[in-house]
Amino acid sequence: MKEAVAPENSEREEETGLSWPRTWRGIYFLVLGSFALWVGLLILLTDAFG
Amino acid sequence: MSPLDYIVLVGSMLTIAGYGIWRTRDRRSLNSYLKGAGKTPWWAIGLSVMATQASAITFLSTPGQGYLGGLGFLQIYFGMPLALITIAAVFLPIYRKLNVYTAYEFLGKRFDKKTRLLGAGLFLLQRGLGAGLTIYAPAIVLTTVFGWPLNFTIIASGLVVVVYTALGGSDAVTVTQRYQLGVIFAGMVAAFCLLIAKLPHELGIGDTFALAGGFHKLNAVSFSTDLHERYTIWSGIIGGTFLMLSYFGTDQSQVQRYITGESLRESRLGLMFNAVCKIPMQFFILLLGVLLFVFYQFAQPPLVFGATRGQEAGVMPATQTEFSAAHAEARQDLETWLKARHAGDASAASAAFGAAVAAHTRWEKAQDDALRQARKRSKTTANVADYVFITFILEQLPHGIIGLLVAAFFGAALSAKAAELNALGSSTTIDFYRLLAGPRATEKACLTASRAFTAMWGLVAIAFALYAHLVENLIQAVNILGSIFYGTLLGLFVVGFFVRRVGGHAIFWGALLAQGLVCALYFNLTISYLWFPLIGCAGCVIFSLALQPVLGTNETVKGEAAA
Repeated sequence: MKEAVAPENSEREEETGLSWPRTWRGIYFLVLGSFALWVGLLILLTDAFG
Repeated sequence: MSPLDYIVLVGSMLTIAGYGIWRTRDRRSLNSYLKGAGKTPWWAIGLSVMATQASAITFLSTPGQGYLGGLGFLQIYFGMPLALITIAAVFLPIYRKLNVYTAYEFLGKRFDKKTRLLGAGLFLLQRGLGAGLTIYAPAIVLTTVFGWPLNFTIIASGLVVVVYTALGGSDAVTVTQRYQLGVIFAGMVAAFCLLIAKLPHELGIGDTFALAGGFHKLNAVSFSTDLHERYTIWSGIIGGTFLMLSYFGTDQSQVQRYITGESLRESRLGLMFNAVCKIPMQFFILLLGVLLFVFYQFAQPPLVFGATRGQEAGVMPATQTEFSAAHAEARQDLETWLKARHAGDASAASAAFGAAVAAHTRWEKAQDDALRQARKRSKTTANVADYVFITFILEQLPHGIIGLLVAAFFGAALSAKAAELNALGSSTTIDFYRLLAGPRATEKACLTASRAFTAMWGLVAIAFALYAHLVENLIQAVNILGSIFYGTLLGLFVVGFFVRRVGGHAIFWGALLAQGLVCALYFNLTISYLWFPLIGCAGCVIFSLALQPVLGTNETVKGEAAA
């Protein structure tokens, strides 16, 4: 039983309560993805008009 | 400013402060005073973290920074997403698990009392010294422009924030910050829309960007590896990550904002909100400055931004004539460029733009000469960037909107100040008074002490602001001071979280050595200040590891306390 309880608590802690993304790892990837997108757009802006 | 502007300004400021006091009138325990009612939702935490970081000078100066230097300043925020993810994943769960009031309590639990006092002392030193600036910096700009008495502006705005912060505590800060941020966003969006409407009608989006790009205002990302270049993608991502990690993870003014969350989830989402929104927000504020630059190519700007009449009178007429003539020539060349561009004549457009750049260089040189002459006549350390946006607001925007924007600047000053005072009061109470007073520090005594220390720091900040004009280049000095101490402070926490075998003696002396190294490097190197937090943090880790075999033999390492 103990073995079953630990992962369940750990999983609950990892849940974001959102419909998407469900895990914090997903949120962190989303944040890094949006950062990469912004940097990419800023590099394009610099190349196009800089 | 018209009576309507004053009604908007005074009405919005006092209403928000009064609402903060009324909403938090029942905070009677130390826990609710320092951490709030524990029901703060993620969006309120996110706004509070954002409002704490963005002081009035952010909204006054950042457009000016965009006007003068373009979008490159944005790179300072490139370290923020990674830093906030690290804090959300590592720092925050430990702070919540230990149920701390201040970040420095963790240092006491993980190491010992002296390390906790060192961490709290470093925070109080840098934040206490900077405390007057959040009031002084916007006050000096606004009083120069409006002619208000400087001391009255400092005391009035300072007392408002002291009263509601000392009475209502942490929740009063969070409650008022969301409305202050609302006023700030409303003002900035209104200014952005009105500025776009004021650009010449024949200037399309592509033309605007081409014009700004031609003057190197859209160089948002630099891949230069020159360590002396202040803002590059490398200093932003590497140095900026350490700077943001120190500020958001170890500065009590920020930690106190997000540990008030209803749950770990709410606190984490509040931080992630900032990780996503900060770069776009700063981009639009800097873009506002770039658009101001484009606007002032077609409308003649003042010869000296922010100059008083006395200073203007000290400028030689020949400089004024050269400025006006060169600006008119540049404007004509840009109109020719625009027509040629629309006609598809690339060579004519290129020639006209080249002539416009040459004329622009002349009118900028005339502005520099005039600034030097004005400074000779009346000694001032005024930074041009601080006055660009406020000059546009006063000269170009309608009444009512002017009041809204001045209210926005004061709102930003009050919200950042309130968070600072709240943190200074909390740390002085919890890390010094309660720790050193022993059993005499009952909950009731701590609550009273917390209110008294908050008010005391507020009065110190007001006094500091009143005498701030005696110190030249004050803002730069305090910013540099912050970057010098942040690295060591972060190093204490990094060792605490990740290096379990290091004990209290080794980290204490390692931190002092690292601090000495950073100070020595600061006086001997001219590298960008963004690198100092990284150097301080790395030094703290390396020195503590090296000292542990020597100093740590007779002590028990309390690594598990934090785990």
